[in-house]
Amino acid sequence: MIRFAYRSICALAAVATLLAVAAGAQEAPRTVEEAPPAAQTPPAVQQAAPSVDPKVRSLFATSCGWCHQGGGQVAGRGPKLAGSDKSDEFIIRQIKQGKPPGMPSFGRAFNDDQILAIVAYIRALPTTP
Amino acid sequence: MKTKHTRLMFLSAAASLAASLSAAPALGVDVSRLDITKDSPGDWLTYHGTYRSYHHSPLDQINAGNVKQLQVAWTHVPGRSTRGLQSTPLVADGTLYYSGSYSRVFALDGATGQVKWSFFPKLDDDLVKAQTHSPYNRGIALGHGKVYVGTVDGRLIAIDMATGKQAWDTKLVDSKKLTVGFTGAPLVVKDKVIIGSQGGEWPWRGPIFGVDANSGEKKWEFFTVAGTEESKASWGGDSWRTGGGGGWMPGTYDAQTNSVWWGTGNPAPLYDWAGPEWKTKGPRPGDNLYTTSVIALDPDTGKLKFYHQELPHDAWDFDSSVGEFVMIERDGRNLMVHPNKGGFVFVYDRANGKVANVWRLVQNINFVKDIDPKTGELIGRRDMVEGAHKNLCPAIAGGVSWNAGAYNPQTGLYYKVGQEWCMDLEVVKTQPILEPMAQLNIGANFKLTNPEGGKAHGHVSGRDPITGQKKWEVKFDEPPLASLLSTGGNLVFVPDSRGMLNALNATTGDKLWSHNNGNGHNGGIISYRAGGKQYIAVMTGWGSLVGDEFAALFGGPYPAMANDSGAIVVFALP
Repeated sequence: MIRFAYRSICALAAVATLLAVAAGAQEAPRTVEEAPPAAQTPPAVQQAAPSVDPKVRSLFATSCGWCHQGGGQVAGRGPKLAGSDKSDEFIIRQIKQGKPPGMPSFGRAFNDDQILAIVAYIRALPTTP
Repeated sequence: MKTKHTRLMFLSAAASLAASLSAAPALGVDVSRLDITKDSPGDWLTYHGTYRSYHHSPLDQINAGNVKQLQVAWTHVPGRSTRGLQSTPLVADGTLYYSGSYSRVFALDGATGQVKWSFFPKLDDDLVKAQTHSPYNRGIALGHGKVYVGTVDGRLIAIDMATGKQAWDTKLVDSKKLTVGFTGAPLVVKDKVIIGSQGGEWPWRGPIFGVDANSGEKKWEFFTVAGTEESKASWGGDSWRTGGGGGWMPGTYDAQTNSVWWGTGNPAPLYDWAGPEWKTKGPRPGDNLYTTSVIALDPDTGKLKFYHQELPHDAWDFDSSVGEFVMIERDGRNLMVHPNKGGFVFVYDRANGKVANVWRLVQNINFVKDIDPKTGELIGRRDMVEGAHKNLCPAIAGGVSWNAGAYNPQTGLYYKVGQEWCMDLEVVKTQPILEPMAQLNIGANFKLTNPEGGKAHGHVSGRDPITGQKKWEVKFDEPPLASLLSTGGNLVFVPDSRGMLNALNATTGDKLWSHNNGNGHNGGIISYRAGGKQYIAVMTGWGSLVGDEFAALFGGPYPAMANDSGAIVVFALP
């Protein structure tokens, strides 16, 4: 566990670079100036977000939040991830190899450092939504 | 009544040779037989029954007076039913054809269930495991003496109807790169097989393909995103390159205008942090044509003839790929009825795709205040900026899902499942991921919730298909996720999510019979005739992306419901 905790910290430190790699040849994200919501549009509510790099949160919301809902804080199509008692090794294996029928294998999609960054994101989730 | 000779031409393995020698008459036979139910009332020849898409069988041997005697005639277990059986079987001249997960195809004797042949394509297992929309298959098509099936690794395969031997195998999508393939049923139109690739959330351009039915050669490819200059101009910057829009369910064919009607998927990312400034800002500025649209294509060329974008700049994942295309004639007008995932039902003029009416199927809708029934214009859009938002209705699973409703020309009623649920979400800025292989692009974290002041639930209603006027409605504690079946016996069959197959009186909605199939339903149901006897065939098996929400939202039997098994269960009178 100590070894993995250390690796997770390393992964977090390097995550900006790694996610830049993940983006590959993609163009930079368009910047969006926040606009006042329309009259009929309820305003966005500020949520207590996990204290991890926003780029990891973005990666999670790109592909993982589809099933691991509430950003991983509640059960949905997939299990709740916050407060998981599974080991880092187990989570890494699940991400890489998947678990039919619902969990795809991301071993070809994400590199080891990206997967470690996702594990770090999960570990940083508050256990109560 | 078509002659036996023409029926054999359609079915036999020699049909392709006959077609090549006398193309026009043979093609006419195909279109005619697929289009007119009364010509072959014992069959179920296309995914939606016929081109009219009624999901209605005129057979009346089983009827409201004797349905209580219905019992299981036979079952067939295909194996490897990962995520259940989600397909709709087809029947031609007493033989039942169906597909299961991993695009396994079977031909069975319709009276006994005895296997005539089976076909298991070899798939790219590593790719199948890496996909989110996998390994289910939602249906097949018949024609030209062949059975056509798509695969999740991007191929369209033709199988000889008589022998089960592969006729051709055409790779259409670079699935190793794009991570998507085909899950929806193909549609045979004249000499073409038409199929759309899956998913709006995938960062590609949603092509729909026209393939030569006899040779397997790709004849055309229509990009639902930037397939025309008009479309390209509706995407800011280069956002069209990753726009989504997959037309993942089959449409239909209107021979009167020689038009293939098809629904397209949502744009990617699903949720857009630009909020009200979506016309000029955000990840995909503009209307995002032709996502979340109904499009009409020329089946001969793949060229766009007309379209209506049901939700300009869809910011809620309420795509138009869900929803059958029901052809109704009224007051001298040829109309097309098409439900949108957002919970509204659109009615179009079949001549040109102009909106004739829009009506509301579900109560819990707040992504817009309304849709103008005369123009289709969205009124009071709810466009969300980055951050958390409460109580968006319907939830991502939609006011309707992808399985089909039914229309009974005798009662004049359209039967359809409606879904009442909402969700909380946090819109998050994301980037499309294309390397080393594409990943879905959601743009939010979300959680399904009960509607304010009530519980999530579903209902089946019988309505006028043009006005939406409701004659009856039956509530279900959880939305049924399977297709409905209407029959000439004044019956509506509702396969529900808990595993009960229910028969309702088509005129009143009263429940007349039910049977526990032991697993949730999430696929098709049909009626056919074999050996002079009427049968009802229904798919069982649980585990779709919508069904996977049920355990957390509803509890009950769903946390323990098997999502790795399924069977086709066939009923008849004693």
